[in-house]
Amino acid sequence: MSSKINHHRINGQIPQPCPHLAEYRTRNGSKPFRALQECLRVKPLGRAAIRRDPSEVPRCGACGEAARSRLYACVTCAAVSCHSSDSPSPSHAAAHAVSMPPGHEIAVDVDRAELFCCACRDQVYDRDFDAAVVVAQTTASTLGGGSIRSSPPPENLRKRRRVDYRPWTPDLRERVLMTRNSSPLQRTEGADGANLSNLPWGLRGLNNLGNTCFMNSVLQALLHTPPLRNYFLSDRHNRYYCQQKNNASNASKRNAASNDSNSNKNLRLCLACDMDAMFSAVFSGDRTPYSPAKFLYSWWQHAANLASYEQQDAHEFFISMLDGIHEKMGKDKRKTQSQGNGECCIAHRVFSGILRSDVMCMACGFTSTTYDPCVDISLDLEPNQGVSTKMGSTKSHHSCNGEADSMNSSQNCGTSTLMGCLDRFTRPERLGSDQKFFCQQCQVRQESLKQMSIRKLPLVSCFHIKRFEHSSIRNMSRKVDRYLQFPFSLDMAPYLSSSILRSRFGNRIFSFDGDEPDASNELSSEFELFAVVTHTGKLDAGHYVTYLRLSNQWYKCDDAWITQVNENIVRAAQGYMMFYVQKMLYYKASEKPTPS
Amino acid sequence: MRPSVNRPPTPDARLDREKEPSVLEIINIKLIESGEKERLMELLRERLIECGWKDEMKALCRAFVKKKGRNNVTVDDLVHVIMPKGRASIPDSVKAELLQRIRTFLVSAAV
Repeated sequence: MSSKINHHRINGQIPQPCPHLAEYRTRNGSKPFRALQECLRVKPLGRAAIRRDPSEVPRCGACGEAARSRLYACVTCAAVSCHSSDSPSPSHAAAHAVSMPPGHEIAVDVDRAELFCCACRDQVYDRDFDAAVVVAQTTASTLGGGSIRSSPPPENLRKRRRVDYRPWTPDLRERVLMTRNSSPLQRTEGADGANLSNLPWGLRGLNNLGNTCFMNSVLQALLHTPPLRNYFLSDRHNRYYCQQKNNASNASKRNAASNDSNSNKNLRLCLACDMDAMFSAVFSGDRTPYSPAKFLYSWWQHAANLASYEQQDAHEFFISMLDGIHEKMGKDKRKTQSQGNGECCIAHRVFSGILRSDVMCMACGFTSTTYDPCVDISLDLEPNQGVSTKMGSTKSHHSCNGEADSMNSSQNCGTSTLMGCLDRFTRPERLGSDQKFFCQQCQVRQESLKQMSIRKLPLVSCFHIKRFEHSSIRNMSRKVDRYLQFPFSLDMAPYLSSSILRSRFGNRIFSFDGDEPDASNELSSEFELFAVVTHTGKLDAGHYVTYLRLSNQWYKCDDAWITQVNENIVRAAQGYMMFYVQKMLYYKASEKPTPS
Repeated sequence: MRPSVNRPPTPDARLDREKEPSVLEIINIKLIESGEKERLMELLRERLIECGWKDEMKALCRAFVKKKGRNNVTVDDLVHVIMPKGRASIPDSVKAELLQRIRTFLVSAAV
């Protein structure tokens, strides 16, 4: 067991286990740290320490030092000695190891609960020991109630590398190529264009085609999703070319096996082509409202179960249309195996991230980790007192921010924030006794803790707030009208797997599987809000409106009508879906209508 | 509750029991007992991250490990090399803030 345990991977390399630790383990049987485990204390702020008695003030047995240097307790005889690699005086911990018979080399840092080998003069790592510490810490943090996770340190001043935005100007050759292959856009200058031409490109109302505000609101957000807009406007998906290619492949299929006309139509169906057409129309300079009828028809064919003039859920539409784009383009490229890493189609390249879910056994600390791709993150609003049937029993006792407790008697708990929801989302959650999980190490079902985190951030993060609640007890649905505050700039660093694991495990080896130091994520954890889809009204009869942020100015897109609005109106709106883009991709300069 | 200041620190400490604990030791014990020490440590950690000190040390450590080869470095070596630089580069503002916090604590504890 021990040899297997020591051969864990860190970044793909196997560190050499310290011979003294290996020897200690073989000498002390299957549970070498059992005595130490009883001395594990978790301090109020969540750090682990070693104390025989909670109020003990340990000091060096040789010199009485208690504060200045690090103190180590010998794991064999519990003698406490100081050790400082800096001081000119000899280390008493090392002296202890030498003066005693072999076997007193391994010691534990009393204030950090980390193992140290006094002979090698190096930190050593042991999986069993670390597992014990992590279990103690996590148990303390979930039992403690109030503060769930010691809030991650604000990392605002971390230095970040940036890609500078440089506007592109075509050179002579490119200019010739462009004029030869395109027709100039007509710009609506003149009588009515006086105030309209001040509006950013691409701001065009969408006609309501009969309860289609759910679609219009999402389309407005997508039309102004920077990476998506850049993709379509730079002709990466050309609808004429795509249709040609389709016809060709259809023809060959028709020859092979005479398909009926219905499946033939489905083959030609391509939501990306309709998106391309829509982008062309919306960015043509024409400001009269556009009717996305062709798109609606294609979407109906894709999602037949939703094809009606009834009201639909904007989030459901969003998921379904991304699926539609993915299905078609994924099929074309024959790259279905790469679904998770989001390289398969434009929809996934822009929106897909990877969630990490850790389920930890409370008995032995064994963690099973799974990764799931996602195109959005659905967040629970804070549990509403009284009607919290949907939440797990442990969840409903806490509220995400302290002040909320005093206010949640009323429906209008003004302190809910998007960050609070994300905190709840990434918080360790104790799974109920009815859903015990099978621990591979213990080989029985055990109580366990589950924690979500974000392994890979998407380029564009869509947060969906679960405002439509279904109560299984009363078999009815209702809408939660509670206000949720959302920031215009959001740092996702605290919710990344790397931060969550670091704050949980600190300096310990524990199921890291060698994949955590992801610098790319750290560079791009800052997000900017660019679209908010809001919902007003009730469950069965409501209206969706989108607020768009273009060149740092907010615009309200209410079907065919577009108006400039003050940002306070946006802040006060009842957000249903929030779209954030990585700050590196949100060039404020590029959003200006005419910089020259 | 018996004040732990007079309690023998560890069972096998070969200290002169009659000797009065020094002011420094008393302060240390008071800091620990009140939980203030842990809060101070946490504050210090936060401040050192905020001001970039941690990143700076990390870079130094990385450079040192790279130079020596990752299998030839112990924590002791690292501390020995980095500690003088680390001590010297802690911003005065951070020291001042911590000193102020300790002063405030001592005043409140003395009353």
